[in-house]
Parts: sequence; structure tokens; C-alpha cells
Amino acid sequence: MTAIPLRYRVPWKKILVSVLALVFAAYLVLPFYWIVAMSFMTEADANSLPPQWIPDQPTLENYRAFVDPTAAQALVGGRAVKETPFALGNSLLVATLTALLNLLLAVFAAYSFSRLNFRGSRVLLILYLVTRMVPGVAIIVPFYLLMRQLDLLDTYWALILSYTTFALPVTIWVLKDFFRAVPRELEDAARVDRCGWFRTMWSVVLPISAPGLVAAAVFSFMTAWNEFMFALFLTSTTAAKTMPVIAANFATDINTQFTVMAASGVLAVLPPLVLVLIFQRLIVTGMAAGSVKG
Amino acid sequence: MTAPAKTRKPWSDTARGYAMNAPALLALLLLVAYPIGYSFWVSLHRDNLAQPAVRKFIGLDNYLSLVDDPVFLCSLGVSALFVLTVVGATVLLGLAMALVLNETFFGRGVLRSLVLLPWAMPGVVNGLMWRTVFDAKTGALNGLLTDLGWIDEYQAWLSSATGAFLLTAFAQVWNTLPFAVIILLAGLSTIPGELYDAATVDRAGPWQRFREVTLPWLLHPLLIVLILETMNAFRAFDTIYVLTGGGPGDATATVALLTVQRVLSYTDVGLGSAYAWVITLITMVVSVGYVGLLYRRGSFEV
Amino acid sequence: MGLSRRTLLTAAAALPVLAACGRGGGRTGAVRFEGWDYEATLVQQNLDSFGQANPDLRIEYTPITSAQYVRKVVAEFTGDNGPDALYCYDDSLASWAQAGYLQPIDGLPGVDEVYKGLYESNAKAMTYQGKRYGLPYYTDCHGLLYNAELLGRAGISTPPSSLDELEAQALRIKQAGILRYPIGFPAQLSDTWSGWIWTLLYGSGGALFTDDLRPNAANDTAVRDVLAWVRRAATVTKVIDPASLQQTPVPLDNAFMAGQYAFTIGARYAARAFNDPARSKVAGRVKLGYVPSLDGRRLGTAGNTRMYCLAAHTQVKEQAFRLLRYLGGYDERGSPLTARFWFLKRGLGFAFPALERDPEITTALAKFTDPVVYSELAGMAKARNVLAVPWYAEYEHGLQKTVQRLLTDQTDAAEAATALDSGAELLARRYS
Repeated sequence: MTAIPLRYRVPWKKILVSVLALVFAAYLVLPFYWIVAMSFMTEADANSLPPQWIPDQPTLENYRAFVDPTAAQALVGGRAVKETPFALGNSLLVATLTALLNLLLAVFAAYSFSRLNFRGSRVLLILYLVTRMVPGVAIIVPFYLLMRQLDLLDTYWALILSYTTFALPVTIWVLKDFFRAVPRELEDAARVDRCGWFRTMWSVVLPISAPGLVAAAVFSFMTAWNEFMFALFLTSTTAAKTMPVIAANFATDINTQFTVMAASGVLAVLPPLVLVLIFQRLIVTGMAAGSVKG
Repeated sequence: MTAPAKTRKPWSDTARGYAMNAPALLALLLLVAYPIGYSFWVSLHRDNLAQPAVRKFIGLDNYLSLVDDPVFLCSLGVSALFVLTVVGATVLLGLAMALVLNETFFGRGVLRSLVLLPWAMPGVVNGLMWRTVFDAKTGALNGLLTDLGWIDEYQAWLSSATGAFLLTAFAQVWNTLPFAVIILLAGLSTIPGELYDAATVDRAGPWQRFREVTLPWLLHPLLIVLILETMNAFRAFDTIYVLTGGGPGDATATVALLTVQRVLSYTDVGLGSAYAWVITLITMVVSVGYVGLLYRRGSFEV
Repeated sequence: MGLSRRTLLTAAAALPVLAACGRGGGRTGAVRFEGWDYEATLVQQNLDSFGQANPDLRIEYTPITSAQYVRKVVAEFTGDNGPDALYCYDDSLASWAQAGYLQPIDGLPGVDEVYKGLYESNAKAMTYQGKRYGLPYYTDCHGLLYNAELLGRAGISTPPSSLDELEAQALRIKQAGILRYPIGFPAQLSDTWSGWIWTLLYGSGGALFTDDLRPNAANDTAVRDVLAWVRRAATVTKVIDPASLQQTPVPLDNAFMAGQYAFTIGARYAARAFNDPARSKVAGRVKLGYVPSLDGRRLGTAGNTRMYCLAAHTQVKEQAFRLLRYLGGYDERGSPLTARFWFLKRGLGFAFPALERDPEITTALAKFTDPVVYSELAGMAKARNVLAVPWYAEYEHGLQKTVQRLLTDQTDAAEAATALDSGAELLARRYS
């Protein structure tokens, strides 16, 4: 981009960006599209060769099983199908509460790291991350015993508590950066107005860091939504089983149809996807606001 | 955890710092400090849940036995390669996506939503999805490549050691990419425009602008992405478990998979915890390495 | 976990917040019954009919995902939270008995009578160190399943009796352009046993372990020759489908029912699904045969046993055992009620030779397979002797990996046999 006169300039960058965007979109969507397509096929169509990229005879039959108990009954090994609606509800509740609890605990800690210069702050910050470096499988047995002792097995709380501890360190790390990006002058102005630190944080820092908060909430939501091992061990009935546990059932159940499994996969992704679509605007506008501030 | 003072005198920064950390610290202390300590203690024992009679303290023997355990050593190699592949691909691809998403183009909002799609997919479902894609008989990949005329016959992609390894890494990258993109995109969007304007005035080319403006500004998010994606890749097991179960042979048997098997399938919590602590240790060392690498020039300010 | 639990209690007591939550609830006097989730609805039906006859009993039945069953049960027992009565794989019996999860049922009412009426291999599979631990749920053994129509199209009228014949027939089918890979196995790594490889070994009289459980693969020419055959058929004549490596039993069955394979080694009851027109495109054409062996003799096959067991620390022993007797024993007419139920409903094999003479059973059996082959296979079935060691699960995993290496030409038969033996020795040391 040196001395070419302006009017001859080919918009290479725009072209490159658009092409890359298309490639990325295909990469992100195609694999998922495949199971969406399968979920609307009959078993025969799903197994046909060559594969049908668009179902020849689209059907809702695979989804009907999830709402209609008699249709589920007809499937051999239809228990996973019957448990799916409960599991979806459980997943949603657990993930939402985890996100909220996590934010509540993390906001103060993150704020302290971004604004206060206190003794041992670095050690503490690193300590948080270290708790996350121990793989879950190492602590699953003692954690199980702990939950048993608290009589929380097979309840939402066992999951919410464990996922909160998983997500907390990362949330604190992510949020402290967002908070730090908020210009201190704004806060100083608030302080001149005699706001305490809490008011300052609440009414100045948090609103500006909205995208960070949303990102952190989405992060902990997803952590909770996707976790499998703890869910498997800490729950045993529809009272608290979550979607990944059910999905594992589909993988192994004696005789589940591929297409029904695909439908369950789509269902497992849909709720968080909808939430993301709702929050996406917030993330984008929030980010824009963040970058404008200068 | 400083007890709240009764007077409303202004607190010292230290007291306030700890008070503000109290909720998070308390939660972690109550819920994971004990299990973490316990798992280390157990790793110093011979302890198979199925053999309570022969449980005993053996010091570091579990760790020492790893040195000449061929299966474990092999899995370390697999893990190293897996982490390298997955983290490398995730960071590069994530950075590329974040840069594209930071531009303005038609459909940007849609793509910004789409990029979150893989994130919404639990590892188990991710594994199942890719299994149907890579399937040797009815898989989409075979169908696509045949339609394009690139292959004549359907292939059993996961049946060769290299194929299984690369495709498993591919599936893992797809699943963990969104986190990297979001964090990097958030970082990018906080770069003040004036910096670019200044660089453009200085006649800096795109690469120079990237190196001198974008990259330094991205160090913080990059560090988080590197540390977390390394941790994730190191302990990833559900996608691998569903896709290959560690096979063929030992081709995709990572330390994490082995650890899960050891603890949960063979109930050998003693040796299994030792595996887990090796993972922890390596993760820590690698993280410190990242910090050193990225902050060599400036001062490390967390 | 006595020690850990004590430590935990201290820890919990030190934390007033947690201690305040305390332990509510407790046992309610109901019999807690757990099993893997095969046909949980039918199980519930069966339990309901037991409940009607025994109104004084309350059964809390929890089905658990089959792939996670073993881990889940171990976690529960570890947390002192186990069921009162439960399903058990023969694969897990030794380690569960040794861990103290289960109690022997010798001398309990009706046990002797049941054991008298069992196939020997089933009785053996439910006995550990001379004590009886289970009543039979179902059992099955493997045979050769072949698609007679595909064989006919290649001009083959009799099924193979030797492995070489199997390979030659498959090659004919392959060369006739009927199927690219005529033989399919479920060879993906899994937590359950790899029935087909054990079957091929037992079919040729091969023994991975001696009777006193010493590793024997490298000494046994039959073992080496069978392994060599597997490698050759996969990598030289290429009649075994490479996709086998990514197939678990369910997709394999589906492929077979879609007509994609001419041969597989599978459980006898698979013949029922394969010949069911509602589920299978090849219904009516699938036959059950003896296991092809190295020299064509019929030397055996591998069987498995699934059983009902009694937890060691149950507080409702009498009630739990009444449930077990209903499920795994005889009814008042002296007939194994639940075993009949499962055979008639789903074709699951039974551990009682007497049922073979039951007219209702033979009629049902004749609908999907040849009753003679069916019962002769049961007669020559062997339980894996290595089930008696606590490290069996780990060994099985190593075996499956070794077989995958053979299938992908990463090792040869001699090396594989040596690796199996040294793996077993390492495990024996580690667990001793």
C-alpha cells in the first residue's frame, strides 16, 4: 500500500476480509448443519449413499419422541429420550445459577485486583488460577464424598457449587482486565462526587464493563452447560441430570437411532445458542462502547 | 479473610483487598481446597478403591514408577503433540477470526454470533457430532470429498494412527475456538483507534502495524488464551473418549484420558492422582513459561 | 475409604457453614435397586408385578447409563451410598467382591437349587474364591453370524468351519464385487469386553492364561496363530473392514442389518434382531454358525454372564434377597420366571439348560435361529478364567489396544502375544 494513487486502489482488504469471513462461517456452521439436517431425516435417508445434504423427505418424527411419551415408548432404549426434557431444564437452571453466583463472587475480587495495590495480590491472583490447574478428575472422588456429607448428591446445588469453583478463577482473571481498561479518571470524577468505592464500582465501572460481565457470564454458563464428568457422578436421576449425561446415554444406549441422537444433539445446543444470540448484540454494542471510550 | 472492622474508618488497601476477595476465597477454600489437598495426599498412597486391604503410604513411589511406565510415557508424548497442535491451531485460527470480526463487513453481526456456536456444544455432543461426520460408512466428510471428486472410495478416517490423531485434534479445536476468539476480539476492540492512525501516518504497513500496535496490546488476552487453552487441551478427554477412546492402539491416548480411565475405570485413585498432579505440574510450568515469554520485554503486571 | 471419610468429617465439622447443612434424610427402609439401563421400562414393568405380589416391599429402582454403570456404582459404594441389590457384570465380580461391596449368598434360601440348574460356565462365572455371589440375569455366548444370501451370491452354500475358509469365502465375496469388506467386527476401544476376539481365541482352543492364571499368550501357538490370522485378514487379504476400529457393537449391528457385512462374530441373541423384518433389511437371511477355528474343529466359544447381586452392607437384606430371588431364581412352579420373561421379550440368553426343553421357548427360538446350534454353542461356552483377577478390566483394555495394533499393522502376532503377557505381569505386580 505505497504510492498507488487513490482512485486505482483495489479494495484488497475488503475482499480478503469477506472471503475469510465466508470461509470461517462455513467452518463454523457446516459440521453443525450436518447434524441439524440429520435430525430432520428418516433413519433410511440418514444412512443413504451418497448422503443427502438436504433431507429428501424432511420429517419431524425425531423430535416428536421428545414431547410425546408414546412415541418415545416406541423407540428401543427410549429412556434417554424421555429424560431429555428434564435434562434440558436442569441444564438451563444449573448453568444460569452458576453464571449468576459466579459473577457475584467474582466481581468484588476482580475489582480489587484492578484497583487496589495490596500485599499478596499477585500471589492471590496466581493462586486462583492454580486451583484451576488441578484436573477435575483428581478431585472428583473427594468432591463426591464432600457432597455426600452435605447430602447434596443428585441436587442442582452439587453441580452449581462445583461449576462455580471451576469458573471462578477464570472469571476473576477476565474481569480484572476489563475493569482495568476502565479509565481511572472516570472513577476519580465519581470520587470527587463523594461516592464510596462500592457506589463507584456499581455505577461507573460495572456499566462500562458490561461486555466483560456478559462475556464472563457466558463463559461460566458454558462451563456449566458443557461439563460432563461431575454431572455424571453427582447426579443419578432426572432430579438433576444434565444434558451431557443424557448425550452420553445416546452414545451408548443399546439401540438408539442416529437421527434421534442428532435431534438430541441439536436440542442440547439450542438453549445456549439462543441465549448467545440474545446477548450477542449486547456483547457487540458493549464492546463498541468500550472501544470508543478511548 | 479479614474480619470486617466495626468502625467506618477508611480501610487500608490490603484490608479492603482481602475483604473484597473474601467471598471468592471462601467459596474456593470450602469447596476445592480440601479435595485438592486430599488428592495430593492420596497420590502418595497405594490406593485402589477396589482393594481397600492393601492401601498404604508409599511416599513418592507412584511418581517414581511413572519414569519407567511405557504407557504413561507414551501418553505424555501424545499429550505434548496434542496440546501443541490444538493450542497452536486455536491461537492462530482464533487470532485470524478475531481480526476479521474486528473489521466491518456485511454480515459481521451474524458471524459474531456464529462464532459462539461451537461453544454451546458439550464435549460429549461434540464427539458424537464429529463421529457422524467422520464415519466410514455414512459420514459427511466421505460424502463431501466424494462429491467433490477428491476421493474415489469411502475411507475409514479414524482407523489410522495419524488420521485419528489429526481429526481428534481438529474436532477439539472446533470446540474450543470460541473462547479464544471472544477474548481476543474483546482485546482488539479496546485498542484505541488513534494508535493505528499514528502508525498509518508513520507509513507502517499492515504487518508492521500488527506487530507494533496490535500484538503488544493483545499480550494480556493472549496470555489468558494461551494458559486456558493449554489447560483445556491438556485435560480434554470427552471429545477424544467419544471419538476414538484413545485408539487406534495408543495413537490418541492422552495423559488426561489415561487419568480418567485410571481413576474412574480402574478405581486406582492413588496412581491416578499422581497422573493428575503430573498434569498440574506441567500446566504450571508451561504457564510460567508463557508469562516469561510474553513479558520478557516489559514488567510483569498481573 | 474409612480413613478419608473420617478426615472429611473432621474437615466438615470444622466448617460451621457446611456442618449446618448436615446430613438429612437417610435410609427409608425401601430396597434400593440399581442396574444398567437396558430396557429400563421393561424392568420397571417386571418390578411392578413383583411389587403387586409383595405389597409389604418398596423398591426404588434407578437405571444407570450402561457405559458408566461400573464407575457410578464404585463411586456410590465408595461414598457409602450404594444400593441394596444390583446388577453385576461377570467382568466386575472379582473386584467388587474383593472391595467388599458384595456379600456371598451361599446358604440363602433357594440358592443351591438355582445353582444346580445352571450351565457350568454360568455357575463358575458367578462364583469367586469358592463363594457364590450372584443369581443369573442373562447370559449369552458368541457364534458366527453370517448373511446366507450374500454367501449364496458368491456361490457359497456352507458356512466356514475354519478361519482359513472364512478368509477364503470372504475373499470370494470381495472379488465377486459383492462387498468391499465382507467381515466386520466391533473393534473400537470400549469398557466392555471385546467378545469377538475372545471367541476367536476360545474357538481355536487358545488360552491367554493358564488355569492358575499365569500369562500364556506367548507360549500358546493357537493364540499366536489366531492373532496372526486377524492381522492377515485385516492387512493382507483386507477382508476385515478397517472401519471396525471405529465401530461399537450398535453401529456394527446396524451395518450388518443394512446388508453391509457377510460375516461377524456376535452374541447369539443378535440373530433375533438381525432376522426381525421390522428392524433389519436382511431379515430371514441371517444364520448362526459355529465359531471358525484354526483347524476346523469346534473347540469352544466365549460366554458372558450378567447377574443380580446383594450388597455387603445392606440394611434390608431379607427384602433385597426376596427381590433377587424373584429376578434370578425360580418361581413357585420351579421355573425361572424372569429368565423366561427376558428371553420371550427380547431374546436374551438364559443360564438354565432346562429352558431349552420348554415348548414356548423352543417355538420362539426357532423363529430366529437354529435351536441345535444355539444350544450346542451354550454347551461349549467358556467363562474367561482371568475374570478372577482384580486387574481384569485393565488387562481387557490392553488386549483391545493390542488387537487394534494388529488390525492397523502396527505390530505382529508374536510381538502382540509377548506384549500381552508382559502387560499382564506388570498388572499382577502392581495389584499384588
